[in-house]
Amino acid sequence: MENINPIVSYFVSQGMPLETVKLLLMLPIIVTLIAFFRQVIGIKAFGIYTPAIVTFAFLAFQQLRYGVLVFVSVILLGMIMRFVLKELRILYLPRVAITLSVIAIAILVLLGFGGAMQRTGLASISIFPILIMVTLVEKFVATQIEKGNKAAVILAVETLVISIAGYYLASWPLLIKSVVAFPWIVLFTIPINIALGKWGGLRISEYFRFRQVLKNIK
Amino acid sequence: MFESIKNAQKLLGMNARNLSYIRPFNRKKAKRLADNKIMSKRVLGKAGIPVSKLIAKIKSIEELENFDWSVLPSSFALKPNRGFGGGGILVVYGKKKNCEGTWIKSDGSTINIEDIKSHVLNILDGAFSLSNTPDIAFFEERLTLLKLFKPYAYKGIPDIRVIVFNRIPVMAMLRLPTRESGGKANLVLGGIGVGIDLATGVTTTAVLGKGKIIDYVPGTRMLLSGIKIPYWKDILLLAVKAQEVSGMGYLGADVAIDRERGPVFLEINARPGLSIQVANLSGLRERLERIKGLKIKTAERGVRVGRDLFGGEIEEEVEDISGRKVIGTVEKIKLIGKNGKEIEVEAKIDTGAGFTSIDTDLAEQLGFEDTVREYQRIETAYKDLRAMSKEERWDIFKSIPNIESTIAIHSASGSTYRPTIKLSIVMDSVEIPTKVTLINRSHLKYPIIIGKRNLRKFLIDVNK
Repeated sequence: MENINPIVSYFVSQGMPLETVKLLLMLPIIVTLIAFFRQVIGIKAFGIYTPAIVTFAFLAFQQLRYGVLVFVSVILLGMIMRFVLKELRILYLPRVAITLSVIAIAILVLLGFGGAMQRTGLASISIFPILIMVTLVEKFVATQIEKGNKAAVILAVETLVISIAGYYLASWPLLIKSVVAFPWIVLFTIPINIALGKWGGLRISEYFRFRQVLKNIK
Repeated sequence: MFESIKNAQKLLGMNARNLSYIRPFNRKKAKRLADNKIMSKRVLGKAGIPVSKLIAKIKSIEELENFDWSVLPSSFALKPNRGFGGGGILVVYGKKKNCEGTWIKSDGSTINIEDIKSHVLNILDGAFSLSNTPDIAFFEERLTLLKLFKPYAYKGIPDIRVIVFNRIPVMAMLRLPTRESGGKANLVLGGIGVGIDLATGVTTTAVLGKGKIIDYVPGTRMLLSGIKIPYWKDILLLAVKAQEVSGMGYLGADVAIDRERGPVFLEINARPGLSIQVANLSGLRERLERIKGLKIKTAERGVRVGRDLFGGEIEEEVEDISGRKVIGTVEKIKLIGKNGKEIEVEAKIDTGAGFTSIDTDLAEQLGFEDTVREYQRIETAYKDLRAMSKEERWDIFKSIPNIESTIAIHSASGSTYRPTIKLSIVMDSVEIPTKVTLINRSHLKYPIIIGKRNLRKFLIDVNK
């Protein structure tokens, strides 16, 4: 049926689920995509860890729209909680703890509501992708404090964009087939990343940022 | 499109900044110094660079509880030691009357010891520091606003950011706080960045926030270009000195001007932002590449090189508008003589002279040996020549090879009849074919003066 490389079938015969092997092989490709987004396109997101983990969470949600729904809810709640908790004037960690608690409860309500609406896909999501989404808010709150609300929202949207791109890339049937058939192609990400890491050209976003300068340089 | 890609090479992007400048030239130790405001204040102060005075620092919650609030003057700035991007800075302008322990903030609202305590707690907790590590809070004296800047700045103190690389100031901008930026001068927070011509210290173009080009301070008719920054040379010198002290190869120096003290160094920045390019409408990368590897011995020399190399934006603008080149009173020019012989010399620009005059020795070098020899042989006294008719005079001179005409020249050193020859002058890359008069100038400093007739395409800047 499927063309499976002997190395991959060896891992599977040792008791590893094929799904896990696929995801682990996909990881280098996803993080390379994130590096590409940062270095060449200029979309920053919250570092490399957050968009990568959110991508995997999206994959685990089975349905992208539920993943996006939870993501957006978490960010919105994070924003609201900031304004609510501002008045309390409390220290950083307790503040994040309260935010996380409120979000956890809100997600519970959301999933329960989804179940009640016969959206079983929403209610039956496993705990890990949900936890990933909830903890995402710490990154968001930290950015809010450091760089302000606007910057944090922009970075959250960028994270969402990259994660969606990552989701589509990682669920692209041809690519999945390829890594299963030829797992060594994953090694190509290393020279690609070396090239990205040595590339000193303008990012695409910078062409936009510096458009006025480009117009005026002689 | 192709043009735009070529121009993009002149810009410094985030990738190239990190890869080619920050990484190789800013060592970790130096970066730590830049990120630690109290330490850099001490190091800079020791090197004789004026810095704002430290009033007190709070290192722990215990110190906060035992803090003697009476040491705080009526105005001060409270800052996180490792803050960045202007975050977490609290400035108060005065004590509220008859109300001990209450200060007035820039927006007119009041703040009491409890509020300050809460702010200090946030700082200690790392809310404003890089990667949220616990931090130290410190109070420093508040600088007073220079009168000149008053109409341009909203509440806070404007500062001047100078990018220094390899001991040479490369680009500079004036940063003005706005209502949006909450009285802070950082562009990311919505401040205004105004480009500065390095040579003259006069402002050029301006950007609001991260990319909006503006001409006036928003909501006013205050033109942002043409502001002359006082103490300009001193500011550049301070910036270069700070680079020497900091051990960083590539840095952004922030200098403010205090009404009483003059230029005061604010902070050094290991990762200076790139928006300065928008404020100046000019690319950093091109400038940095021009000075990479230059050996600069002293700060003074570096400042001079930077002003010479990267100044002159205003001059270019004048040239654009007038269609004339701006030259100084002494210019390096190229002379093209007989048979295309070329010589480069320094020429004095003399608006008091009608014709351009050239020294006989120089004329010889340009291939007019015969002309000079014949001319020197004739040597007829001026008063004799004057008594003659035009034709008689021409009879005397006409045997001189390459002669064009003779002209009476009256100067401070007496009157003479001089033969003229034809040659070309190349000044500021403009070629002017012309007649020049011959005279012995060996006792004078410059072998050639350029007279009015050849200056029609130029404007003269006596400061140049």
